[in-house]
Order: sequence, then C-alpha cells, then structure tokens
Amino acid sequence: MSTATAADWHGPGQRAGARWGFKWSELLWALVFPRTGQRIMPTASGVILISLAMGIGTAAYNTANNILFITLSLLLACLILSGVLAWFNSKGVAWRLQPPPSLRAGQEAMVTLELRNGKKYLPTYGLWFGVVANPVEPPSVPAPRGKKGKERPVREILAAAERNRLRARLFLRGRLDPGATARLEWIFRPVRRGAQKLALESVGSLFPFGFLHKHIGGGLRHEVVVWPAPVEYRRWGATAARPLAAGLRMARAGSGGDLLALRRYEPGDSHRLIHWKASARSRQLLVRQFSAESQEIFALWLQTAADVWTRPEQFELLVGLAATMAEDLFRAGKLGSVAVNDRPPQPIRRVRDFESFLDELAVVQPVAEDNPGSATAHSRPLGEGLRPALGGRKNVITFAPDGMRGVAAYVDGEKTASA
Amino acid sequence: MSMERKRPQLNLDELHQLKWLLGGVLALFSVWTVFYLDVDAWTLLILNTVAILSALIWPGWLALVPVAVHVAAFPVIVTCFAADLWANAQILPAMIRLDLMLILYRSLSYRQRRDDLQLIVLGLFLVVVAGVLTVSLAFAGQILAFTGCALAFLFVITLVDAAEAKDPPVHTPLFSWRLSVATPAWTAHADWPRLFSRLRAVADWRSLTFGGVLFTGVVVLSGLLFLAIPRFQLENSLFLDRFISKKARTGFTDNIKFGDVTDIISDTGLAVSVDISDPTQMPATLYLRMVVMDEYRDGSFRLSAPLRRAAFEREQNVVEVNGTERPRPGAPVYWTFYLESGVSRYLPLPGAFDRLNFRELQNAQFSHSLRVLTLRNEPVTMTAYRVEGVNTSPLLPDAAFAQTLRTTPRDANGEPLRSTRRELALPAGAADQAALRAAVATITGGATLTPEEFARRACEWLDQQHSYSLQSALAPGPGDPLVRWIGGKEPGHCELYAGSFIVLARAAGFPARLISGFKGGTWNGFSNSLTIRNSNAHAWCEIWDGTGAWLRVDPTPGSAPVTRTIDPQGEAALAARLDRSWSARFDSLRIFWYRRIVNFDRGNQLDTLRAVKTATQETGLRVRASLERVVQSLKSWLVSTWDARRIATAAIVLLALAGAGWTVSALFRGWRWRRRRGGDGRRADPARREAGRWLARLREKRTDAEPAATAVWPELERIRYGARATWPELDQVFRRAQKAWRTRRSAKTVAPSR
Repeated sequence: MSTATAADWHGPGQRAGARWGFKWSELLWALVFPRTGQRIMPTASGVILISLAMGIGTAAYNTANNILFITLSLLLACLILSGVLAWFNSKGVAWRLQPPPSLRAGQEAMVTLELRNGKKYLPTYGLWFGVVANPVEPPSVPAPRGKKGKERPVREILAAAERNRLRARLFLRGRLDPGATARLEWIFRPVRRGAQKLALESVGSLFPFGFLHKHIGGGLRHEVVVWPAPVEYRRWGATAARPLAAGLRMARAGSGGDLLALRRYEPGDSHRLIHWKASARSRQLLVRQFSAESQEIFALWLQTAADVWTRPEQFELLVGLAATMAEDLFRAGKLGSVAVNDRPPQPIRRVRDFESFLDELAVVQPVAEDNPGSATAHSRPLGEGLRPALGGRKNVITFAPDGMRGVAAYVDGEKTASA
Repeated sequence: MSMERKRPQLNLDELHQLKWLLGGVLALFSVWTVFYLDVDAWTLLILNTVAILSALIWPGWLALVPVAVHVAAFPVIVTCFAADLWANAQILPAMIRLDLMLILYRSLSYRQRRDDLQLIVLGLFLVVVAGVLTVSLAFAGQILAFTGCALAFLFVITLVDAAEAKDPPVHTPLFSWRLSVATPAWTAHADWPRLFSRLRAVADWRSLTFGGVLFTGVVVLSGLLFLAIPRFQLENSLFLDRFISKKARTGFTDNIKFGDVTDIISDTGLAVSVDISDPTQMPATLYLRMVVMDEYRDGSFRLSAPLRRAAFEREQNVVEVNGTERPRPGAPVYWTFYLESGVSRYLPLPGAFDRLNFRELQNAQFSHSLRVLTLRNEPVTMTAYRVEGVNTSPLLPDAAFAQTLRTTPRDANGEPLRSTRRELALPAGAADQAALRAAVATITGGATLTPEEFARRACEWLDQQHSYSLQSALAPGPGDPLVRWIGGKEPGHCELYAGSFIVLARAAGFPARLISGFKGGTWNGFSNSLTIRNSNAHAWCEIWDGTGAWLRVDPTPGSAPVTRTIDPQGEAALAARLDRSWSARFDSLRIFWYRRIVNFDRGNQLDTLRAVKTATQETGLRVRASLERVVQSLKSWLVSTWDARRIATAAIVLLALAGAGWTVSALFRGWRWRRRRGGDGRRADPARREAGRWLARLREKRTDAEPAATAVWPELERIRYGARATWPELDQVFRRAQKAWRTRRSAKTVAPSR
C-alpha cells in the first residue's frame, strides 16, 4: 500500500492540485535563466529545420518573395509550436524514485520510477529518464605511472569513477493518460558494497517533432546502502555450538510459545494476535509478540584491523563471509548478537536488527592500528567483549586470514568455516 | 479500481504502419504539386503516383526488390540528373525531375528516421518551388496541407522512436549478396481498415480538438510572423523563374493569326484582376490594350520590325515607368493589375498613364507612342503592377506618327504612298484590292468622308453583311482570306470584323491598325475588384483621325463602334457588371491572396502598423469619451435635487448592486472550493464518491473496537478529501472497507444470540 505524500514527487507536476501555482513571471524568467540541468539542444532534424529556415530566409530577403516569407513564417511557427507542445507535454508530470528495500552487491535489484500525469485532459508522451547509481566514496585510484603525470590522474580518476557508475535510460514508451500513473523499472546489479547514490540525473524528451533535445533537471537523489555480496564458504563442522544453560534464553521475536512483548497493531497483523485486554486498558490495539525457541546461539565478532587485513580483496571476502554467515545463522535462528571491532555487542532479535548489522557491514573499512579505541586481534582475546552479553558463555565467531587470499571463521578459536 | 474506461494505445507495429501511411501521403502531396508546374515531368509524375500508391497499399512487395537495386539506385539517379542537365540545359526542371526520382526511391524503400527526414525536405522543395513559380492561391492550400501532414509525420516518428528506444535499428549493409531486403515485421500484418478502426478507437476528442486548435494557432502565428518580419529588399534578383522557361498559354503575342483570339475566348480562366482605388473612375466599357499590330501580311497581323525598333525604347531594368500623361489635380487614382502567369509578356493597359510601378525589378520596354509595355520574358508567375494617372480616352494622340505621315511620299492625288506606310498596306493581289475598293465605294457612296464617319458607316455595313459567331468559317477560294470574308455572308468573330475594317479603312485611304487585348470584365462584389477572364479577350482597331490621334473603333457587333468621349462612369456602370456568383467568391479569395499576401511589402507593413495604431488610439478615445459621458451624467444626477423617490431609487440600485456582487462572489468562492477539492463541480470524481459512500456506511456507531474499520478510516478520508497525489491503492482500500463492513454486519447478527 502506497502511503507516499506529495513531498516525494518531483517535476513540474509535483504540486498536484496547486492550480494557482503557475506564474508567468517564473516561466519567462526560466526562459532567460534556465534552471539547473535544463538545456535544449537541436537534433539532426532540428539542425535541418534551422538550416532550412535560414536558407529560405536568405532567399526571401534576396528576392522579396512573399511565398518564401510565408514558408519562413511557417517554419518559425512550427518551431514555436514544438516548444509549446513540449511544455504542455511535461506540464503536470511528476516522478519519484523508489529504491529497492535491500541491495546486495552482485545481485540484481529493481529501482522503480513512478510517473504521474497530473494534467486533466492531455496525455504525455516520449519522456526518458537518465538514472545513475554511483558510490558515495569512489574507490581510490593508484598513483600515476606514466610520463604525462599531469594528465593521467584526472583521466584515470574519471575513468575509475565511470567504471563504478551505473547508468541507464528509462523510456516512457507509450502514452501516459491524464491522471494516470506509470512505473518504469530499472534492474541493475551493484558491483560493490557501500553507500550508493541513486539519482535521477536528467529527464529528457524529443517530443513532439524531434527538432530539439530538451533536458529537464532530474533533481532526485536517494542514498542507499549496498550490503556485501554473499560468498560461498566451506564448513568444517568440527565445532558444535554449546547449548545455553537453562533459563538463558535469547529474547528474540519468533514463533515460539512464550510471550515476549506487546506491540502496536499494524495493518496486516492477524486478528488472533490481538491482546484484547491490554488493548482495552491502553485504549489502543496491541498484538502479542512471541519469543523464538532456540538453544544454539552464536555471537559474531568482526574485527577489521588494518594490519591484519592488508589486502583489499581479502578484506572484501571477510566482509562477505561475515555477512553470509550472519544471514545463515539468523535464518536458522542461531544468531544472538553481533559486534564490530570494539563497539558494544548488539543483540539480534528482529529482522531490523539484522539489517542494521548488514548496513554496518556495507560501510565497514579496515581500522588503523593507531586509531584510539579500536580493537585488533592482537590487543584482546577472541570474544572477550561479547562474554558479558552472553552471560559468560562463548560460542563467539571470529575471523582471521586464511593464507594469502582466504578467510577463515573460528568459533571460540576453532576453525569452523573458510572461504 | 478502474473508474474510467482505459483508452487503448497503438502498438509499435501500428505506429510503423501509421508512419508509412503518412509518409506516402506526404510524398503524394509533394509530387502532385508538379501538376501546377510547366515542367516536362509527366512520366515521372505518373510513375511516382502509381508506385507510391501501390507501396502505400501493399508495403510487403518492397521486400521483393533486390538489394542490388538499392545499391545502384543513387548512382543511377545522379547519372540521370547529369544526362538531363546535359540534354536540356535547364537547371530547375532538371532539379525538379531529380527531386521526383529521389522521392520515388525513398517511397519505395523501408525508411529509417533519416530517410523520413529526407522525404520531408525533398517534398518541401517541390512545394516551395511550385509556390514560387506559380504564386497561385493553390499554394496556400498546398503548404498548409503539407505542413499538417509533415507535422503529423514527425509526431509519429517521435512516437515510434520513443516506443522502440534502445532497440537496435534494422540495418541493411551497403553491399549484400542477398536477393532482397529484410521485411519489417509491421508489413506482415498491414491491414489498413483495421488500422483506421484502431485509430478511431484511440482518438480522443480532447486531444483532437487540442491538435486542431494548435494547428490553427500555427497558421495564425505564421500569419502574424509574416506581417511582423522586418522587410528590406537586397535587390539581388536571383530567382527561380530565371531558370525556367515557359510559353504563353493564351497566345497574346505580337503575331496573331485568325482564330488565335477565338481560342483564347474559349478559355474561361482568370487572366487579370484589377483593383481600382476609386471604382467610379472606371469606364462602362473597359478596353485593355496589349499589342498593337500595324502590318498585315499572309493573312495575319503582326507588329512590324520597323515599328518595334522605332516605337520602343531601350530595354531597362526598372521598377517604375513614366508614361505620357501628366499628373492631375486631386487624389490620384491607382489601378493595380494582377496579371496571371502565361497570359502574355505584353501588359494590359487601359490607355495612357502617368506612372507605372512594378512590385519588383523587371526588364521592360515601353513605347510612348503606342502606349504599350512589354517584358523581356513571358512571366511565369503572377505579375503585379500599379498604374497611376490613367486616361481611358478612346483617342490616343501620336505626334510621332503625324510627323511621319507628313513626311511620307505622296502620289499624284496627294495621298500617301501605300507602299511606304504599313498602316495603309493592302493585300497584295490586284483582285483583292479591287474588291476592297468596290466595298469602300459601297460604304461611302462616292462621298468623301471623315475618318470617324467612314468608321461609323463601315461598321454598320459590316454589321449588315455579317453576323457575329465564334464558329466562323471562311469560304474556300483564292485570294486574301479577309477579302473573301468581306465579300461573303459568313458569320465572324472579333478578329474578322476588326481585320476587315482595317483593310477597308486602308483601302479608303485611312491609316488603321489592329489592337488586341481585353474588353469588359465583371465587377466582383465580394472583393470589389474587376475580374477579367481569358474569355474577355478581344480584338479591335484604331484609325488615324487625321488630326494627330488614333481613334478607337470596335466594329464587332454589340459594341459602340466609334466614340470620341469616355463612356459614362460611376456606380451605375459598376452595378451593370456586378458578379456575386460562387465563382466570384473564389476569385475574391484569389484577390485577397494577391492583395494581402503576394503583394505585401514594406509599405503595406507600415500601413498595417499605422492602421493598428490608429485603431488602438481611436478605441482608446472612444472608451475615454464614453467614460467621461457616464461620469458626467452621474455627476449631474447626483447634484440634482433629492426627493424621497430618488432616494428610494438610489437605495434599490445600491441594494441590487450589492446583491449582485455578493452572488458573484459566492459563486466564485464555491467554484474555487470545488476546484480545490479536485472536482470541477459538474462531475465529482468517482473514486471520491465511492470513498464518501464507505465513510457514510462505516461512520455509524464506529468504535475503536473495530480494528478493520479503524484502520481503513483514515485512508478512506484521504481518498475522499485529500490530494490525489497522496492516495493509497484504491482497490485495496475499498476491499478492506468492504471487509470491515461485512465484519460489522456479521457481528450485529451474532450478538443477539449470545
């Protein structure tokens, strides 16, 4: 169910229903001083038309022939008509970007661009939308080696930025009727984990006659997080998790028999879960939330010491392995808490908690050794920070390099998986 | 929930078919303009028409054309153009034929975007060239039809490009061993009746109306631009009509054989249109002189070479010609002539004049003595010229001829020797001359007559001997044909009457010459202009009156043969020739085209601006004066004595005004409120109505204990009152509302049983 508001919409028709919002002064000023991203370029047919107009105009003035003046007037009127129709076409149109709920590196995701034609009588045709996804922090470029030291860095930086940038054009292929909406989909595959900017760079059109290439600034940006790519790993299976002692249960939402908490009713909740008495007392609908039943609980501790993870590829593999193992454990209901470096462990009770952890993994970077407050594999014993949360029990998964390229996962110091 | 019927859309194949259709129609529009041109391209025109129509109806067969044909097409076309140029040495006709070949090729191949653009440019070339060369009213229709079709074509091209964006274009390699080109998918199911029915289904009256309004706007805007474009002439005179030659259609040349004028008379096409600034100055019977022919030989009259050399000045490139008349006091009367193309290079003139102005530079020769003006070439476009200070008198003084006549050698009787004067020359045969003398004796009765009296009697005699008919036939036999006709009783037309009178006058010793031109015409009641058709072509004579002037004599029955005074003028003369037929309506359009479009120049532009300025000022003055009158009357009403009746009247008026103001204000506020609510007041949004119905049902005894109703309530309110942009999914909300309603009803029915 869409509950978006008008504030999400962009474009000439973002203020739907604001009939008195149009001002001639704004329109005229926009003609003199276009807004950012707005530009008009003649196409091949536009150049032909302009050349024809100039040729016929020259002949008309040379000969004072009114037939040629009529033809010239008609050509100029057609150019003006083209501009007027293009203005009508884009008038009242609004769009909004809907990024996917989750993005994983290496996996396809769908970005939806929703279009709305706010005009009452006229349809809209032939718009295209330039969308781009690029990392917030582009990867660093190695130092130049060529002789032209002054030129190569710029080129290489631009080339590297372009390599990490994903572009696409989404076309409105049919007619968008007055008052109707349409959805354009962009399926793309993020290359790297990390924060990404999803932007609508430009909105363009050749409508109506293809004389002019009209660009309207897109002005839409969304920052999304790309979770690490899942990796394949091998389980060694030597270490089994130690069951928790009686009375030590993880407070996680699940489908167990014990009542964990009450929370507010949300549309879609089963009516059987409504706690009527509590609802009556609190005068709002409350539903029961039950705890998960699990005996094998693990804690995952990711340490990213820069002096340990010196190779970028190996570090990416580490992050991917940590994310994949955490997901597998969460799906199996065995992930109790997670921690990154020396931050306090976070209990994983709900999907939201797990997704927060993936968000953290998406942007995690090697931590320098001299960074105050950071924890390294050498400075503290494995799993020491997680013990208080687990009541002194271990079952802590840590990671260490496995050879030059690989990464191994350890449960209480015993190798349990590798990738 | 779909509240309105969704309008269908054309799919990509149908868009391609529509594009093909519009391209074919555009090509046909273009090539048919050649019909108006006097270019030898009939074979190509017919070939284009047949090929384009067949390709339009059955596009699939084009795939059968071997690729080799496409490879060889361009070199073959260029070779044909070079050969045409070499053979005919006329650049413009060759270019027109080249254009036709290129259009033919583009119409017979599956076009991509650039080919479509080429087709438009090629078509525009033909339309513009045809317009420039004909300057006819048909150009207005052609260019408008072409513009509409081209805009629709470009529109569909843009839709096709948008629909197949990023799809790889069908590319035919330049060299290919394949026997035929790839067939586009859309040709497989090209079904034109189905396409038209789909177009009908897709068409929306709002969009069509909007398109029509916009096209009208384009026409109006181009008209305004035409009026507003600054005019200045570079006087380069490099123009298309120099590159094309054309023969006169009507035969008004300086060598007329009997029957030529009759052929012209059978043509009812428009020849000349005349605007007269003061129509009352037009004579009741208007004669427009074009050619003067002094020499009669071998049964035909012609302008002799010596007279041409003696009478005409050197050819000049001019826009103004000074005549023999002197300016007259009072407001000048302007005669503006619009001579259709192909009539003659001799310009029709009503007589002597003071000044003549062309619209553009012309190579012209003028004869002051003959009052005849000729252009170097036959004009292939409409020629406009304005004459000022016109004298329509039937007497044309000719001091030069009088002087020549005085110095001409004379015979024993004191008469000028015929052998030395072409204006006195008779048919060579002795028997013919004897027959003519006998006829003259019959006419004069042996008396010595003045030229005017002789002319009158000769005309009467001819009228008695013959009857007027366009279907004349000369009796077979030896001798001069005119003398044979004079001696017989056969009917005749104006040429025979005029020619006969001339040889009779010459036989009587009076110099005479033949004049061809136009006589009469109708007064167009719609455009207030004189319309002269080719059927008004006429031949008449001029006889030397012996006192230094040529006197017009029209021996054709139905005319006043001889008169020395100008015919009566005025409104009665106009009313006598008034024409308000449908043909006159069409001609008035043509006159409008000539007056306001073709003949529009900087002077007209300034006049238009002045007219707009004057109209604005006068309107302002009128408004101001009326306001002042209202204020003055109000003041006088206020200062007059007040009594109870006046007070009551004033109170009623004030109350009525206040009530009207309040009503208008309330109506406006209500209208604005409805607009803000998203409806226009005439028809509420069906989704809002539906949400209102559900709100009304669920409102009754609603409590928080009904979770479904509570949950759906704000969303229903949003649909009912909120902005459309914030609406949730309608289907889901109404379904949940229905569910909540059923839940409540089931709860009500269960409750009593507990």
